[in-house]
Amino acid sequence: MTNFIVWVVWVLAALSLLGSGIAVVLFQNPFYSALALIGNLASLAVLYLLLAAEFVAAAQVLVYAGAVVVMFLFVIAYLGGRADAPWAGGPSPQSLAAIVAAAAIAVEIVVVIAMKAGDQLSTPAKVDDNFGSPAEIGRLFLGDHLLAFEVTSIVLLIAAVGGVILGSAVPREKRS
Amino acid sequence: MPGPSVAAYLILSVILFATGAFGVLIRRSPLIVLLALEIMLNAGNLALIAFARQTGTGSGQIFALTVMVVAAAEAVVGLGLIVAVSRRHVALDVDKLTTLRG
Amino acid sequence: MIAAAWIALFAPAAAVVAVALAGTSITRSVAGFFAAGSALVSFVCSVVVFILLLGENPEERTHSSTLWTWLSAGDLKIGAEIQIDPLSVFMMLIVSGVGFLILAYAIGYMNGDVEERRYHAYKALFVFSMLLLVEAGNLVLLLAGWGMVGLSSYLLINYWHQRATAVAAGKKAFIMNAFGDATFVLAIFLLIQRTGSVEFDAVFSSGVVEHGSTAAALIALGLLGGAVAKSAQVPLHTWLPDAMEGPTPVSALIHAATMVTAGVYLIARTNVLFELAPAIQDLAGILGGVTILLAGLIALVQTDIKRVIAYSTMSQIGYMFVAVGLGAYGSGLFHLMTHAFFKALLFMAAGIVIHALSDEQDIRRMGGLGRAMPFTHRVFVVGALSLAAIPPFSGFFSKDSILGAAANAGTLGWILWTAGAIGAFLTALYTFRLLFIVFWGEMTPFAREHLHLKRFEGGLAMAWPVAILAFLSFFGGWFQVPWGWDLVNEWIDPVAESAAEATGTTLVFSVVASLALAVAGILLAWRWYGRTSDAPERARKRLPWAARTLEHKFYFDEAYDLAFYEPASRKAVFLTQYVEQPLFLAPLGELGSSVRAASRRLSSLQTGYVREYALALAAGLAVLAIVFILVT
Repeated sequence: MTNFIVWVVWVLAALSLLGSGIAVVLFQNPFYSALALIGNLASLAVLYLLLAAEFVAAAQVLVYAGAVVVMFLFVIAYLGGRADAPWAGGPSPQSLAAIVAAAAIAVEIVVVIAMKAGDQLSTPAKVDDNFGSPAEIGRLFLGDHLLAFEVTSIVLLIAAVGGVILGSAVPREKRS
Repeated sequence: MPGPSVAAYLILSVILFATGAFGVLIRRSPLIVLLALEIMLNAGNLALIAFARQTGTGSGQIFALTVMVVAAAEAVVGLGLIVAVSRRHVALDVDKLTTLRG
Repeated sequence: MIAAAWIALFAPAAAVVAVALAGTSITRSVAGFFAAGSALVSFVCSVVVFILLLGENPEERTHSSTLWTWLSAGDLKIGAEIQIDPLSVFMMLIVSGVGFLILAYAIGYMNGDVEERRYHAYKALFVFSMLLLVEAGNLVLLLAGWGMVGLSSYLLINYWHQRATAVAAGKKAFIMNAFGDATFVLAIFLLIQRTGSVEFDAVFSSGVVEHGSTAAALIALGLLGGAVAKSAQVPLHTWLPDAMEGPTPVSALIHAATMVTAGVYLIARTNVLFELAPAIQDLAGILGGVTILLAGLIALVQTDIKRVIAYSTMSQIGYMFVAVGLGAYGSGLFHLMTHAFFKALLFMAAGIVIHALSDEQDIRRMGGLGRAMPFTHRVFVVGALSLAAIPPFSGFFSKDSILGAAANAGTLGWILWTAGAIGAFLTALYTFRLLFIVFWGEMTPFAREHLHLKRFEGGLAMAWPVAILAFLSFFGGWFQVPWGWDLVNEWIDPVAESAAEATGTTLVFSVVASLALAVAGILLAWRWYGRTSDAPERARKRLPWAARTLEHKFYFDEAYDLAFYEPASRKAVFLTQYVEQPLFLAPLGELGSSVRAASRRLSSLQTGYVREYALALAAGLAVLAIVFILVT
């Protein structure tokens, strides 16, 4: 029974994932694109839950959907969502090449993974309830991956400083 | 593990990645490009979590959390750049921002 | 005693460092006081060492001291060592004593020059280098001092570096000296191969090389080459007259009293090696004899006051070479000492004259200065009489010591005696020619206009060193008197045993003959130049080719030009045009321009379109994935 429910949830989440992804890319109004991104992130959170990564799913919703997308929406509101028509003027060599490149990437990576690791992907490892819990994540962060933990704090600091500097510079024409 | 195998998740991640790449290549507004970039990063995250589940080690999830941090930081800086560009009354069109040329 | 010797060596070096570091924070004269003071310190220390050595037995008068091992390669160890023995102390006294007097004189002479501090620093550097040369306890350290005196000489010759002639003269001196240095070094290499050491005790022990072998001849020849170049003997003599471009105290110190005598010192020091190669030792004497005559003849027609004295120096060093060539080391060194006295005196007196006439050196524009400058005239007479070897002045005793030794040395000795005797005649002739032209007769209009005198004619600063040297020129000869005593020979004996001098009738004949020739030279000079006479003009008209050869200095400069400079410069031009330009410069230029062209083409890839860059990234990724599939 659980298998069936899981399958259904997986299919729904996958469809919404792909759908919102295409929506983000194809909408002309950036505001709608940002909203579609929220849907994308939510579907991803569901998929993470299915993969026994509870903490990451929670972090995904909190950080991405809660902070990053809000930031995007603020900027879009500040700049005014100008419509951007990528299809105006018919298909250009750039867009045709883009389609080909994206498709090629998708196909090739699938083929590579199938060829190289196909048999290893059949049975996943057995995990206990502790896997993906906050306690486990905390233990790993502060134990095996302490350096990454500390470095990310520096990265965040730099990004915050950068953001302030970039945002606060007043253009010279306005000053004089 | 109930539900589809890890391979299905990987295929999903690949398709999402290709969608994001397509978006980066095709759109002209830098804001949309940044959004498509976020999609690509998330696709990578999905692959990482799937592999973590496959091998049973937690390192993949740690890696995914770190990627999330970096993506957030990059979004901050990118948006700051866009705001600075728009402040100078330059059109927000990737094809028009071409001063860095050889 | 060892400490005193080290202090004597390093005092001038300290002065150089002090003057260089102090820069403009000390006045120009204070820089001169530093330099002269350091020379005085060296002299005092040398005197101390001398007195201490006197108290010892003659056999024990050798000490050496090593500060640290300077170079060591395998078994060869070269230390920074000095050797204190009668010969080195003799030279130390002369170098530091006369050096002090000249440095003190230079304070007055160079007063007011813009870069005077540099001058005094260089002078102190020279004194240090010369002391290093004479105190060195091994051949390599001697070579270091040898090279450094060459450097100081170069630096001081083109001290007035804005003058093109001075720069050219400095280069000429340095290059000719470098030739001698090269032969010297080759001799050292041979010695290292033979003995595995360069210390004096090891190198001068018997049995180093067989008597008369080729190796001995080569070693002695190499040493002789260095000595000939440094002492400006024929054939490497052309640099000395040009070196008169330097200031007069430089000429006095370096090109009269000390550096040019370094060659004589070298031969005396390495006498063991020369006696193992008698042919080369004879060659040294022959070269000396040739130089005596050549330089004496050229000096007869020179019109620059300093160049007359320069050729005179060349000639007198020829006497010293004759002496060491015949094994009379004591006599040669005795003449070195007295020559230092009276030649420095002559140069410094000439310097006072030059100063008084606002840097005029042409004697045809001088005349009758004897009445206007009595002090200078008198000291010049003292120096001239000493140079012409008239008793009781010092030059008489030293020159006759040499001639006496020559008379006792077989056929070659008599040949060289003849050269020396003729040289005595020439010396007296050109010296008194100079004296009469400059100081006697009528004052030329030029002199009348430009003469400006101070108290003591040149100022007290220049007068007192000159006075001391005049005193020494007069009394300095009593160290070695024929039919009396020979203190110098005895003193030098432990280091370099001198050949015996003539005795009895031979000695009487030698002394009387050379004295007669000298007096004859003075009389002829008085007849031709002391009174108004047209005899010189008539002689010139009768033998125009002789006059021309003498004026062109026997065409040595032209010959060397043709033999060395012309081929070299033509080769250089050819190589520049046909080798350097097409093979090196052109390809380099092409390389640069082709790189620039390629980079221009590459930079057109940077279009500025972000989407194109992203597309390139994606395409690259796609290609790499295919490669990955195919390869693995």
